[in-house]
Amino acid sequence: MFKAIVSASTLRDALDSVSVLVEECKIRLNEDDLSIRAVDPANVGMVDLTLDAASFESYEADGGVIGVNLSKLEDFVGMANADQLVELELDEETRKLNIRIDGLSSTLALIDPDSIRQEPDIPDLDLPAEIVLEGAQLDRGIKAADMVSDHVRLRVDDAEEAFHIQAQGDTDDVDFQLDAEDLIDLTSGTADSLFSLDYLKDMNKAIPKDAEVTVELGEEFPVKLHYRIAEGQGNVTYMLAPRIQSD
Amino acid sequence: MRLDEYMDLAAESERAKRRRLAQEKSYDILDHLAEFQHRFEETVQGDSLFGSVSPSIFVGRSNYPKVSTGILSPVGHEDDAARFETSAGWYDEGVSISDVFRRRTSLLNSNQSTDAVNVHDSWDGFLGVQREVAIADRPVSVEIGLDGRPDVDFDVGRDDVATPTGPRAHARSADLAENPHVPRPVQKTLEDDDWNAQGAMNYLYRRGFDVYDVNTILSAGALGRGENRRLVPTRWSITAVDDTVGQFLRGGIQTNPSIDSVEIHRNEFLGNAFWVILAPGDWEFELVEMKAPGSVWNPDPEAGMWLAADSEGFEGRTGYVDETAGAYHAARLGVLEYLEREGRQAKALVLRHVSEDYWGPAGVWQVRESVRNAFDGERAEAETFAAAVRQVTDYLPVSLSDLRRKSTMASGLQMNLGDFS
Repeated sequence: MFKAIVSASTLRDALDSVSVLVEECKIRLNEDDLSIRAVDPANVGMVDLTLDAASFESYEADGGVIGVNLSKLEDFVGMANADQLVELELDEETRKLNIRIDGLSSTLALIDPDSIRQEPDIPDLDLPAEIVLEGAQLDRGIKAADMVSDHVRLRVDDAEEAFHIQAQGDTDDVDFQLDAEDLIDLTSGTADSLFSLDYLKDMNKAIPKDAEVTVELGEEFPVKLHYRIAEGQGNVTYMLAPRIQSD
Repeated sequence: MRLDEYMDLAAESERAKRRRLAQEKSYDILDHLAEFQHRFEETVQGDSLFGSVSPSIFVGRSNYPKVSTGILSPVGHEDDAARFETSAGWYDEGVSISDVFRRRTSLLNSNQSTDAVNVHDSWDGFLGVQREVAIADRPVSVEIGLDGRPDVDFDVGRDDVATPTGPRAHARSADLAENPHVPRPVQKTLEDDDWNAQGAMNYLYRRGFDVYDVNTILSAGALGRGENRRLVPTRWSITAVDDTVGQFLRGGIQTNPSIDSVEIHRNEFLGNAFWVILAPGDWEFELVEMKAPGSVWNPDPEAGMWLAADSEGFEGRTGYVDETAGAYHAARLGVLEYLEREGRQAKALVLRHVSEDYWGPAGVWQVRESVRNAFDGERAEAETFAAAVRQVTDYLPVSLSDLRRKSTMASGLQMNLGDFS
């Protein structure tokens, strides 16, 4: 059993954060929240999303799992204006999801959850540095890096207490330095890792510019990016494996 | 460890001696064109109708879709016509750049202009004969009527995908002088006009047709769904087949176990040195090209080394291959064929050093065959990928730091999340 009403903008933010990585996913309809965990086919980028029941206008679920094609679901939800409400209801018999938006009803065929790639285990990482910044700052650094290269170095300089978003191209370099006072918060530690911009750009696309993003970083280790959505009632965590030089 | 303990690197030092080749090129080719003219005059006497044997076709790409489309024939060399068709055999023969140019300048391109490339229903006339030549598995006897004399110009261009083209003449007519032999699988893809082109290309490849055969068939518009069948410019067809077959092979190796250790393979052919570094892990590929000043695309001897690179991750690329064009897909095919044979997957970095000895573009077959054959020779091993790159850099015309700036893989290999759990 699943029946919920949610604002179109909340649902869209949530779905966007997943669809930048995968085309299909399992949605867990837990009693207290809705959650999605997915990893891209290369097992390089992962997303873990939770929307608490409180982020919905109304929410009733009993622990089922459904499989969806994200671009189809997004198309349907895209028919709503940001402030409109979307009503979702699972038809247990037909295994279809009914979507209603102000007089517009649509039915989305679901995918067998067993046919979707297995949900990943979240690696247990102890990352020494933590940077909290605005989505807009991260966006600026990633855009700058993208001008010169296809990979980006995220680095914390422990001595000068600063966070760097750096890129090195054939001939050109970019360095976006954010000192402790430019950041919302900084837990300094030795951290320096290289990441593919293809992935990071996709993740960045989904991160709202006004979100408070926490970046957990290590030395040639995956990065964790998390931020809250749905007015604090939902959480998105990305994890991205690094490119390493293996000396 | 020094690589020369494992590999014969003497060829590197001999390269300098062969630089003078560059000065000899123009006279060689000009002589040859004069020779062609002479042979042609002997063959075509009185009227302009002549009989020859055609191993292949050529479809131009300028003015697409109003392209020029032609039948190639080695006028005066009918007895060994097959040798004039670009194939993997050219590598086995050990042809030189001059040989490539000589063979290409011996091929008369009797062509017509077409208004439309859609050839689904073109069974008759010139296009029909052209298609028969393309699908036949051996050179076909043809009778060609020319409009005037051939234009013995020689078009080298900067294009290193298609082989250079020789003399051209406008064809009034073309007729088959025999019933061409068409292999059964080709007949099957030709007759099934509900089969998409990618599927049909992969089918032919799996049935043992090399990419050279497949691209000629594709080029003539003899593959694909009926309404989509069109003439494909030769240059595009070469890259399309390398890319399509490569994607097919990549899909197959992605579930293979990884190789166990870092391997370094090397090959040298036609003034090009190729290094292939394979490292354990999920599929990833990059081609880095280093083009010496004085080589064909970097003709200014005072210019620095020209670097170009393109790469893909586990799932392949989404955008066009900007910098390395057809060489990228040709090199990738060679690597994927090796991994498929071994039942493995790997991260593969191909480094191509184009020396000043490479004075004329021979065509992308040269990249494909060099990489394909790189795995047959000696190999070296290294502890890590980074160590392999460092060692190879000793033999490259660029520094390690310049290489790292240019190469995505040299700056770091993509790990996956499983490596950290």
